[in-house]
Amino acid sequence: MKTVTMYALSTCPWCRKIKDLLTEHGVPFDFIDYDLADEATQKRIMEELDREGTSLFPFVRIDGIPVTGYQPDRILELLGL
Amino acid sequence: MSTEPRKEALRFFFARIVGPLGYKFTPDAEMMDFLLEQEVILEGKHGIPFCPCQPLRHDPARDMQIVCPCIPFHRKHFDALKRCWCGLYVHKDVTDPNALPQLPPWEVGLD
Repeated sequence: MKTVTMYALSTCPWCRKIKDLLTEHGVPFDFIDYDLADEATQKRIMEELDREGTSLFPFVRIDGIPVTGYQPDRILELLGL
Repeated sequence: MSTEPRKEALRFFFARIVGPLGYKFTPDAEMMDFLLEQEVILEGKHGIPFCPCQPLRHDPARDMQIVCPCIPFHRKHFDALKRCWCGLYVHKDVTDPNALPQLPPWEVGLD
């Protein structure tokens, strides 16, 4: 089973679409809604995204491989689905 | 309290800004309504209708760049996508917004 983590915004429909996509395919995943997180968590997420050279959401990591934006085909490909 | 009057006001003002930039509201009415709703919520929370799909960094100079419509700050990127990041706006010639990918700048040949 691949490890899937996601940084999202509660106001972002594309983030919701990815959550729905993963759920529909029965893929377990962890996520944090950045805008609902506490200040320390937001700072940690931004430092991580800065290292990746992005600040765009949704941001998904599948077994360490980052995917920025709503890219359902790429996500399913990385998941082997 | 209903958000409809404010959504309509934002539509009125934003249309006048994005039109001369070559953009229009997405023809996906459901998506447009959802995104405007989020902007009204963000405006209520922060006083400014920020992009619903970009994070606030609590750095005024950077946060200013995600105030809707943020097209002028990301022009090359959005022109390459034919849509803004959240998809509220698309190029005027777009008829099928769902066919437009949401790719980061480096995946469309930009920095």
